[in-house]
Amino acid sequence: MDWALLGLSLQVAGVATALNLPVALVLSWLLVRRRIRGRLLIDVLVSLPLAVPPVVIGYLLLLLLGRDGPLGAAAHSVFGLDLVFTWVAAALAAAVVSFPLMIRAIMVAMGGVDERLEVAARTLGAGILRVTLTITVPLAYRGILAGLLLGFVRAVSEFGATIIVAGNIPGRTQTLPLAIFTSVQTGKDEQALRLVGVTVALAFVTLVVHNWLLARDRTRRA
Amino acid sequence: MYRSSTIAPVPLRFEVVRRFENFHLECAATFVSGVTAVFGPSGSGKSTLLNCIAGVTTPDEGSVEILDRVVFSSGARTNLRPESRRLGYMLQEAALFPHMSVRENILYGYRLTPPERRRIHPDELVELFRIGSLMDRSVANLSKGEGQRVALARALATSPDLLLLDEPTAALDSVMRGTILEFLLRCWRELSTPMVYVSHSLSEVLAIADEVLVLSDGRRVAYGKTADVLVHPDVAKMAEYAVLENILEARVIAADGQAGMSELALGEVVLFGPRTCREPGSSVMISVRASEIIVALEAPPRLSARNVVRAVVEEVHEVASGVILYVDVGVRLVVEITYGSSRELGLHRGREVYLVLKASSIMVLDALVGGG
Repeated sequence: MDWALLGLSLQVAGVATALNLPVALVLSWLLVRRRIRGRLLIDVLVSLPLAVPPVVIGYLLLLLLGRDGPLGAAAHSVFGLDLVFTWVAAALAAAVVSFPLMIRAIMVAMGGVDERLEVAARTLGAGILRVTLTITVPLAYRGILAGLLLGFVRAVSEFGATIIVAGNIPGRTQTLPLAIFTSVQTGKDEQALRLVGVTVALAFVTLVVHNWLLARDRTRRA
Repeated sequence: MYRSSTIAPVPLRFEVVRRFENFHLECAATFVSGVTAVFGPSGSGKSTLLNCIAGVTTPDEGSVEILDRVVFSSGARTNLRPESRRLGYMLQEAALFPHMSVRENILYGYRLTPPERRRIHPDELVELFRIGSLMDRSVANLSKGEGQRVALARALATSPDLLLLDEPTAALDSVMRGTILEFLLRCWRELSTPMVYVSHSLSEVLAIADEVLVLSDGRRVAYGKTADVLVHPDVAKMAEYAVLENILEARVIAADGQAGMSELALGEVVLFGPRTCREPGSSVMISVRASEIIVALEAPPRLSARNVVRAVVEEVHEVASGVILYVDVGVRLVVEITYGSSRELGLHRGREVYLVLKASSIMVLDALVGGG
């Protein structure tokens, strides 16, 4: 077993999830609790990565992060860094692709919190931020955690966007799915099977925890 | 109505217009008394009005002043957030925070209240609402009545300028209802926090409010002294006098006296009622249907009914379904009789009458309130 490979995969997925969480929390709150303008459009945009082929996302990211792209140029001039074909690009690709799953789960969790509790807290003197931190998030945390895990497993599984924007460089940008691809391509069936086993096991355990959290959440509400 | 000579601040003055797709609320009033009720059938705009006052809903036009402090004004573009309006808002369901203990619920708003504005101490509320033994419990294990008391204590712990109550008894049985009314009356007497009490029960309005605003279909139908508004022709159209109850605070003289009956003092008058679990000397709410009180011109000599009380007719009002009498027995009672009886008895203001009341038609609202 190549521990570095597993470590890199977890690092890429972990950073992707950590980047997504604050954005998903704020955006879910806006979509669930505020009647904001352009709500429908934002809702569609948020789910779009789920509907387009990951290859498309990879290509768009390549345009964005490449040295001629707006983000890539900024990173190059400020930090002297190239983003494309680095693990950072892999993390960004994983973040974009896994975002819809995470935010949809968090929206369900936040929407499940009784709005009257938030109204009660407001009239007791708590501002919006305090209400969110002391009422909404604590009551929705199991659902939020479940969304986090769902996003994480999707980030670990990411392949199409990653291979385009981060390449498939062993030890630098090669994550589990990419390593499986290489193994199959080079006829290393035994290695491919071993990596498949690890990937499936990882997804299985995460989903067990995810479902357990949601089940606990339902019994508590009942 | 608004008196310019009043020096004390007016609890609530508002003028709100709120348009929804299929419903308009358009209403103005000045609440000058300590406890004012808002009465109306469901869908009449009562909750929308409360939400406008609390800042949960923003009116399209108008103004809201609480204790002479402007919290909303479309003209001046003032719109204080709910958390800045210094209001207590008790929702229909207690809406207690399920992830906190009773104590944490009560302290939630108290801690957010600036020390210089803290007028009511939580300990005082714990005693007033007898929730001492519930403090460390999870709110999931509270009965409905206990939950309402905790919610009341939580709202009052912020020392609000005004307490809004949205049908706090809607989810309770009639006995528990009496207990909550008892607590609210006590709460007004001891803390003097002005209240706005929303209800679709005329009996509750009569029991608790000095004045009442009647809403129907988003418009003001009547506003004034509760007794006057109750028999207002437009209110009579929507009122169900047949189920009207006198809910009154009585003092227990004997809880389980002769023949298993209680003796209850209503001012100077002593009534026999069903036995109660309350201690002699304590107060208890009782309820008597307006239609179950029999009116006689002379004291009936021999009678199975246990209570014959002398009374003076104060007002006679003909309403659609019959005749409503206000009679004085030391406290004021509402009696409902038919046109026929009224004509035959020739009742008028100042007439002395006898009220006949079976012990069993008195309901003692004596739900046990644990918690020391």
